[in-house]
Amino acid sequence: MNGRGRALPLSLYFFGLIALLYLPIAVLFLFSLNANISLSFPLKGLTLDWYEKLFDSPAVLRAARNSLVVAAGSGFAATILGTMVSILYLRYQFRAREFLMALAVLPLIVPYIVLAVALLLLFSVVNIDRSLWTVGIAHTVVALPYVVLIVASRLAGFDPILEEAAMDLGADYPTTLRRIVLPVIFPAMVSAYITAFTVSFDEFALALFLAGTEPTFPVYLFSQLRFANRLPVMIALAVLLMLVTLTLVFISERIRRAE
Amino acid sequence: MKPRKSMLFAAQGLMLALALVLSACGAPPPATEAPPADLTGSLTVLDWAGYDAEDFWIDFKNTYPKVTVNFEIGASDADIYGKMKAGDQADIFHPYTGWLQFYVDEGLVEEIDTSKLTNWDKVPDNFKKIGQIDGKQYFIPWDWGFTSVLYRTDKIPEGVDSWSALMDPKYAGHVSMWDDGPGAVTVSTYIHGYDETAVTAGQLASIKDEWIAQRDLNLFYWAGEPELVEGMKSGDVWLAYAWQGAYALLLGEGVPVEYANPKEGRNSWVGVYGIRKGTENYDLALKFLDMKLAEATGNNVVNLFYYGHSNQDVMSGITDETLKQAFSVDDPDILNKTNFTPNLTADQRDAWTAMWAEVKAAP
Amino acid sequence: MGRSESRAVTTPVPSRPSDTLPHPAARGMGEGRGGGLDRRATFRWLYLPPLLWLGLFFLIPLSLMAAFSFRANIRGNLLQWWTPTLAHYTSLAATGSYWRLLGISALMAFGVATIAVILAYPVAYFLAFRAGRRAGLYLVLLLIPFWTSYLLRVMAWKLMLGTEGVINSFLQYVGLIQEPLTALLYNRNAVVVTLIYVWIPFATLPILAALQRIEPNLFEAAADLGARPFQQFRRITLPLSLSGVFGAFFMVFIPTIGEYVTPLLVGGSRGSMYGNIIQDFFTKAANWPLGSALSMVMLVTTLLLVFIATRIINIRDLLE
Repeated sequence: MNGRGRALPLSLYFFGLIALLYLPIAVLFLFSLNANISLSFPLKGLTLDWYEKLFDSPAVLRAARNSLVVAAGSGFAATILGTMVSILYLRYQFRAREFLMALAVLPLIVPYIVLAVALLLLFSVVNIDRSLWTVGIAHTVVALPYVVLIVASRLAGFDPILEEAAMDLGADYPTTLRRIVLPVIFPAMVSAYITAFTVSFDEFALALFLAGTEPTFPVYLFSQLRFANRLPVMIALAVLLMLVTLTLVFISERIRRAE
Repeated sequence: MKPRKSMLFAAQGLMLALALVLSACGAPPPATEAPPADLTGSLTVLDWAGYDAEDFWIDFKNTYPKVTVNFEIGASDADIYGKMKAGDQADIFHPYTGWLQFYVDEGLVEEIDTSKLTNWDKVPDNFKKIGQIDGKQYFIPWDWGFTSVLYRTDKIPEGVDSWSALMDPKYAGHVSMWDDGPGAVTVSTYIHGYDETAVTAGQLASIKDEWIAQRDLNLFYWAGEPELVEGMKSGDVWLAYAWQGAYALLLGEGVPVEYANPKEGRNSWVGVYGIRKGTENYDLALKFLDMKLAEATGNNVVNLFYYGHSNQDVMSGITDETLKQAFSVDDPDILNKTNFTPNLTADQRDAWTAMWAEVKAAP
Repeated sequence: MGRSESRAVTTPVPSRPSDTLPHPAARGMGEGRGGGLDRRATFRWLYLPPLLWLGLFFLIPLSLMAAFSFRANIRGNLLQWWTPTLAHYTSLAATGSYWRLLGISALMAFGVATIAVILAYPVAYFLAFRAGRRAGLYLVLLLIPFWTSYLLRVMAWKLMLGTEGVINSFLQYVGLIQEPLTALLYNRNAVVVTLIYVWIPFATLPILAALQRIEPNLFEAAADLGARPFQQFRRITLPLSLSGVFGAFFMVFIPTIGEYVTPLLVGGSRGSMYGNIIQDFFTKAANWPLGSALSMVMLVTTLLLVFIATRIINIRDLLE
């Protein structure tokens, strides 16, 4: 294979990109410690006040929790449904095959605002109250294309011959799927889940229209941004969420490496 | 800001004393109503972001501590109107002048029994009128403010005295207009002396051309006040179409700004509260609106958000110099020189918003 | 990345009537075998949930909005039958600036997608072939910034790119420029750059998925036959990853046509995209019918572009 020396420019490129991605976050982190409500240099002194205030506001923490719940749930639903579609598309022949695939990917084309208003109408017609559930339903729909694209990409190159062999040996189809296909596409499914989670977590338009009295974090952030003096607390929350996530990720990596 | 326990006790004590006095006088007790401190129930309010903070309904919270108030967030007037049309079950909602006619036409709002509002007499007549459509009181005026030209005195030492400054090539690249079609039409009608309630198609076409040309001067359209404040603070924006909240904020930050008194007159807008038609909580909603007009709530609106309040005691009680300047409290004539936003018809709304969309889409 | 493979059969199995089995997809529904559900029965379980979900929560609302585009306005009872009108479509056809903006938005989306995919490819390559066991960690690291509010991140960027921002201050300090650069923000270029920046991590994923299923044996075999690394890339890696590349391209291209948040934040007065117009008609004008009509036009246009693109790609396959 290629020599290790070739790895250097590529890893430079990768870590350069990572640096660029985290640069605004570093800036936000700086401002979360800034003793000034305005987002400008120079910093007016360091303080942990904003983080304190953060824990004093249950509404903020509740909004963060709401976003986590909706993202986790809709990500899960999207991953399951999207994997089903991928398997159907690549392992079955039926008349509506192309139609189903097109339908699964179609949410990419529809502007969120259109879907938001449309779902608003639908839910009011059937008298379903707007809530985190309705937001979750909408997020599942819009995350589905990403799951399909990622999982189908992985499954496309996997020769069905192994599944054939398993079925010949007497396995029924669900077992075949479970023992043979799933382990192969599992990394892609995890990838897809993380993507779906990400799509949901910062989603605003659908959440604004379809949330009831419990806002998700982006909606809450938007509401607080009308007050310039609330900005630092929101930044503190965003940075905190980031730090917690990073910590969790590094811990899990440590655990994995220890195994 | 959490309500202080002492205020709670004071309110309860007052209510109790009142009840005792009433019963002692032999006055008939209120029919089937519990004393405020014990009144239970729940209300849902469809309100703008931020107004769900307790500060902005603190009087209601203190007087009726056992009533739960839930909030739904609306992002704009169009959003609130759309949600109400789609059958939102909120008991109370918060539109602004310009949009009120639609709610009446679509049968979405209840008439308000002002005899049950204890704070109603503190609201000046011209504000009361703003909440009246077809002669009936459908809305309660609550928050209000000015629109004018905000500018940096260090960048524009000669000052600004007309709305046409927003179109002045001298300031190319340093102007910021609000992202709103009706707002743009209003400014043009002021500049050219058109009748805002009867803009002709020809006038609208020339207004469109005017704003397309203005894009060359405009740095960005601001959608929210913080955006505008940051822009002015950094010096990128020298003058802007702005509400007085931005003015007060910037003054507080020590930025040298001035809030113009254009010769065409400032604009003023009023936010109102309405009760949804068909709500089961009409009486409770009325109480909520009544408490919205009370002083502690009003003071919070003024001090925390830099908006005006419809309770004139609150306005005359302003002591902060920055706010006095922002509201021109010392100019008793200011409201007479101000153009209040009239209510649009649906056709006007469609035409003016379409005009703005074409301005943004123009090459 | 480890791939589990089924264990080799070591015990002899009774021979079957036919030795060669046709591809399951070619066989249709499949015959029942052994105990438990066969392919046909499983089909129902796989087919119904996504179909129901998409049908209920996507197709129906979408049809509702499409129907609304033929409604004059949203006055009156929303669910009452209305006389359809083409008024919005005719006024759309007459407004040249909307079409022009749609074209520009499509071009911008094309540029963003192309560049994002090109820039994402090395990232995916790194993760697939160089990151080793840390690949999962790196992937997550790539995506975590997206859990911070986009609004706040762009705010931070605007701070750095503004006339009094870090970049301008630094360049002036160093003496490279005298006046601060105003071209960094509030124009169409800023929108394109920001979108590329935002999309690279997402575009990585389909490419990565495709790269991961390339068998390492292929490289060994090629190396044994004397192929140099670049040749291996050109003849093995690139062709086999194309499905991922196209997947990534469309994943970025399609939603970007209707993008509105980024133009709003960094586009300035002239940086609006087609999505902003749609957004405004819904959230500022309460003109759902016109907004729906504009959306339908964008939908059809996008579908057309995708259709044309897939035909071109297929033709290229045929030619090779």
